[in-house]
Amino acid sequence: MKNGHNGHNGHNGQGGHGPDGRDGISVKSTGVRPLRARGVREAFAGKHLFVTGVTGFLGKVWLGMLLDHVEEVGRVTVVIRPKKGEDARARFERIVERNPAFRPLRAKHGAGLRALVAKKVNVVEARLTAPLCGFSCEEARALMSDVDAVVHFAGLTDFEPDPQQALDANVHGARHAADLAALTPSKRYVHVSTTYVAGMRSGPVEESLVRGVSPTGVRFDPEEELATIERELAACETKKQRLDLAMARARALGWPNVYTYSKALSEHLLEDRRDIHTTTFRPAIVECARSYPFPGWNEGINTSGPLVWLLSTAFQRLPAKKTLTFDIVPVDTVARSMMVTVAAALRDEAEPIYQCASGDLNPLHFERAADLTSIALRRLTQKREDASWWEKNVVARLDTQCLDYIDDEQILGYRRLREAARATRNFLKDFELARVVPAALYEKVDGEKLEAELRSFSMKCRTTDRRLGTVDEMLRQFRPFIWDHDYTFRTANLQRASERLDDEERALFGFDVPEICWRRYWVEVQVPGLDTWCLPVLRGEKVHEDPPMAVELAEPASAEVPSADGFRTKKSDLPADPRRMRATA
Amino acid sequence: MTQTAAFFRVEGTLTERSALAAAAWLASNAQGLGERFARLGNVALAAPLRMVGELQTGATATRMTWMGLRGMSEDRLVLLCEEYFEKYVRDEVLEVGAELVKQAKKQGRRVVLISDNVDLIIGPLAEQLGADDVVCNRLELRKHKATGRLEDPVIGGNVAGQWARAFASENGIDLADSWAYGASAADSLLLSAIGQPCVVNPDRQLRRLARDHDWPVVEK
Repeated sequence: MKNGHNGHNGHNGQGGHGPDGRDGISVKSTGVRPLRARGVREAFAGKHLFVTGVTGFLGKVWLGMLLDHVEEVGRVTVVIRPKKGEDARARFERIVERNPAFRPLRAKHGAGLRALVAKKVNVVEARLTAPLCGFSCEEARALMSDVDAVVHFAGLTDFEPDPQQALDANVHGARHAADLAALTPSKRYVHVSTTYVAGMRSGPVEESLVRGVSPTGVRFDPEEELATIERELAACETKKQRLDLAMARARALGWPNVYTYSKALSEHLLEDRRDIHTTTFRPAIVECARSYPFPGWNEGINTSGPLVWLLSTAFQRLPAKKTLTFDIVPVDTVARSMMVTVAAALRDEAEPIYQCASGDLNPLHFERAADLTSIALRRLTQKREDASWWEKNVVARLDTQCLDYIDDEQILGYRRLREAARATRNFLKDFELARVVPAALYEKVDGEKLEAELRSFSMKCRTTDRRLGTVDEMLRQFRPFIWDHDYTFRTANLQRASERLDDEERALFGFDVPEICWRRYWVEVQVPGLDTWCLPVLRGEKVHEDPPMAVELAEPASAEVPSADGFRTKKSDLPADPRRMRATA
Repeated sequence: MTQTAAFFRVEGTLTERSALAAAAWLASNAQGLGERFARLGNVALAAPLRMVGELQTGATATRMTWMGLRGMSEDRLVLLCEEYFEKYVRDEVLEVGAELVKQAKKQGRRVVLISDNVDLIIGPLAEQLGADDVVCNRLELRKHKATGRLEDPVIGGNVAGQWARAFASENGIDLADSWAYGASAADSLLLSAIGQPCVVNPDRQLRRLARDHDWPVVEK
């Protein structure tokens, strides 16, 4: 009859779905016999790495983790381009001393961090878009003479950037980094790509690449494709023309946007190269850290940020397929996996491709993500001191639901609303009350005041029009990933590599996707993290760096869940540019 | 070795909020707006039955109370129950009840909380009070959604003496020397089965019963 002390086991607070707290999903056995443990630290010991893209979201976390957990590493040469009048070294030092990704290192080493960085890290200024990254042949040879592996993180992650810039960064950048790898004694090259090179198709995506075959099965020559698209882009006059052209080409081959097209093109081109040993690492959607550098850490505008922003507004309809996998991976999981991948490359036993995704072992579906996001946002709003009663009790309680189907006209009523707002704005813009009402009546109704109110209403219509336009554009860009295609990215190679770690290293670098409890992660880490680090950027606010190191040393930064306070300045109701949809950073 | 226990009916002795209030709050926080009204209506159907009295309706009223949550996701229920506990239970535990729990623990009695509310809300309360056992309802889940049913056995507003005897023999508890605390007439069955009954903030019917049986009455 006893029904329950400890009777909340079945859906306890810690769990996800199911009694094991992991959505009832167990870790799949890869069926491989246990092999001798292959240490990550052992592989990195004394090695010299040449790394690009360490100023990006993933690159920073990975470098921090490397310096923090793999003290055995010999030396890391980082390639940084100067920016906004800051040279590469100053830029790197600023990142190490003030970027939140390096908080654990600052807390661990204090003032000694500068010495550690000086000892382990060599900063070189270079532009990846230039041949040999801007080095002369002699310089490049000298620089790469004792490098054990080139690790290429750098890339442009905007969904629809200027296509030529995307090709420069994602295709030429990768080729130039590969050229440098070819100058190293061991020719090892680790290339960071994305799982979404899978393109416009659904179903399982294996860790493989068939060179010269697009996702839709069209045969193409990557070299010729690159030459053709660049020739045609050069003939275009405006960015819009270039974008239309590149989008048309990408779609014809089976990629939904310029980002995945350019990333895929670089993978196909690298596949051709026989002068290097390429290992490709494909993460899915990289999101807030679970634990390293601290729970919730995120940076800039990423993939789920705009969607969460959308759900934080009164917009209650998300045209996403409920059963579709939202393939999120915390950035520290990606960094751990990258560590294992580079270690395998350094031992010369890496698989050609490693995919890092969650859908294979522990999928999160859109219906669940929308449900959890609504609750998480409500909790955040209710904690906000500056939220009004209306926001806390009405707006925050309007929960978003996934739509079962897309019918732009009927379901996404915002288009009609937008048309109405635009028409009203156009009408009121040139409206002069004095012209249409008799002077006596104008005086009587206080026409000037009325006109001022009409002008204010007209401005509101314009804001509504713009905001709805942003939503429209956002949903268009996201559609392939939230409606059209459902992928299951296979991750067997990472699972196998993780199994070969000993217990201590598995705790630090193991593929921990099966351990993610989405309920806890989403509500306590992901959404609060986005609220602190990403949504302010979308709203046009500035997210500040950590205080300068001297101050920080006196009071080390806490490694707690980020609070949504303290890091904001300017407030703006309208997102600065949520259309800058990005994938991995 | 036998031990003694202190049985606390949560509703009335430890909290003022009923399971109906919890179910209604959960229903009013369903995902869709229309859904909220439909679910609330469903929960409201249980209200007249509860007014008739648990002694007459047994567990039917309790079953009906939770039917309105059918189809709500496990995630939502777990998180909402956490929120409900934080908002309406944690800081609103009746002082008199908390004091009685403290005394019972000091006297070495096993503290058993009995409630027709769900484990997701009563579990954290038991943890807060340091209770040894919780006897409450569990929402049945299928494919991570509530079916609207409660898992068996359903704990109704009234808990019969038969149950108390079974619990005592299963756990080696000396009922004659154990205490039971209740607040409404529906608890009379439990109170009369335990050696040392005590009523806390009783309703009119239970107050009369306590007077007739010479049960001690504790008021806040």
